[in-house]
Amino acid sequence: MNCRDVERSLIEHENSGAACLPAQVHKHVSTCERCGEFMRALNPSIIAGAPAPEILRRLEDTLIAKLRPVRPLAPARYFFAAFAVIFILIVAAGAYRRGAAGISAMSPGQSITMLCALSASAGLLVYSLVHQMAPGSQHWISPTRLPAAVIGLLALLMAGLFHFLPERDYWGSGLACLRAGGPFALLAGATFWLLLRRGAGLSPRVTGTAAGLLAGLVTTSAQEIYCPILDVSHILTWHLGVALMGAVLGLAAGFAAEAKPLATRFAGAMGLKGAWRN
Amino acid sequence: MAPPPSIAALDGWMARYQQADPEAPAALIGAISPGLLRFFRTQDLVSRQQADDLLQETWLRIHRVRHTYRPGQPVLPWVYAIARRVRVDGYRRTRRIRVHEIATEMPPEPRPRFENRNSLPAFETLVAVLPEAQREVVTMLKAGGLSLEEVARATSSTVGAVKQKASRAYERLRRLLQEENNELP
Repeated sequence: MNCRDVERSLIEHENSGAACLPAQVHKHVSTCERCGEFMRALNPSIIAGAPAPEILRRLEDTLIAKLRPVRPLAPARYFFAAFAVIFILIVAAGAYRRGAAGISAMSPGQSITMLCALSASAGLLVYSLVHQMAPGSQHWISPTRLPAAVIGLLALLMAGLFHFLPERDYWGSGLACLRAGGPFALLAGATFWLLLRRGAGLSPRVTGTAAGLLAGLVTTSAQEIYCPILDVSHILTWHLGVALMGAVLGLAAGFAAEAKPLATRFAGAMGLKGAWRN
Repeated sequence: MAPPPSIAALDGWMARYQQADPEAPAALIGAISPGLLRFFRTQDLVSRQQADDLLQETWLRIHRVRHTYRPGQPVLPWVYAIARRVRVDGYRRTRRIRVHEIATEMPPEPRPRFENRNSLPAFETLVAVLPEAQREVVTMLKAGGLSLEEVARATSSTVGAVKQKASRAYERLRRLLQEENNELP
């Protein structure tokens, strides 16, 4: 047992208390001056500065005065289902309204790969959003990195699946494709926002980016179904570009939401700020 | 005044708080506030008054979003995730005020100082030298009493990442303590 082993053991037995550390660790600490000092420095008993009792009492009184029963947030699976149903319904509405020429134009391999990739991306984003709604949820994938990873992987996949093809009117067909699909993203974004506001997204920027990207992917999915143009530049710019634009708009909305500190708004709305201080 | 409930009982108290049990706020505030105050004091070495303000804001926000706690889930990661956000908002607010103040010479980085070989620097001063992410993890573990998994939940991270940060922080603190000891006459 050396000093490094003590550190490792400390991390492994974190929160179980010093009494639960193996006997070898105690033996080493009792003989090693540096480890003993290190353990004492991290000992919570030397941490001073408890809140003043009168402050706590005033805070309690304030909260008790405003106490009303609330219904806990529904389980994550319900929200997951709600997001998924909205996503599928809007994509289906797009296919119903615009047709499925895109599916006919693509090979079966391209269709299956694209639709699976888009579904998986949407699923991961929904998972992340649902967990962001409840603070302290367990995240298996970092919510800050997920949007960038989704866009990057989809771009790579599209670049690999499709080729450059001569296109007569790049801008005209692109803008027509965007006009046809844009409203679906707006509708999806508004509906997702209604769901998200039931939770407490602590980081509006991260939540906004993920929600905007998900709304954009609704349009990308619908475009893949109805748009028969298979040119890779068209798909990357006008299909995946909508998703990217959605993410950027969501990020901007998040910035705007963060500009006015939430706490001030909460406190102002509840008339609580400063109510308990001298 | 009744003693604060144990950490294990907090989940039940939080569920009662959602049902508007008038005893719940006192139980939760009494049990969680000391850890929260230490958390704020160790981050950016804020003054006692600033820490009290952040504590107040945290409880206001907890009250506002109390419906987002799902009964059966651990309450501490939920509380600390909110506190973390309050701290970030507080930091931004302070920064906005600071940029409008006249710039003066920056004070040197705080370094923990030993008075003699038998005394140790305060925990807040000791961890102030750590990078923000490591400081946050060590404070939650040591001052907040959270487990590795709970810290991972509170910081939207993974247990592996938390272990890595804790390990780096301990290594750095140990080196620092040793350096300080060597400098003593």
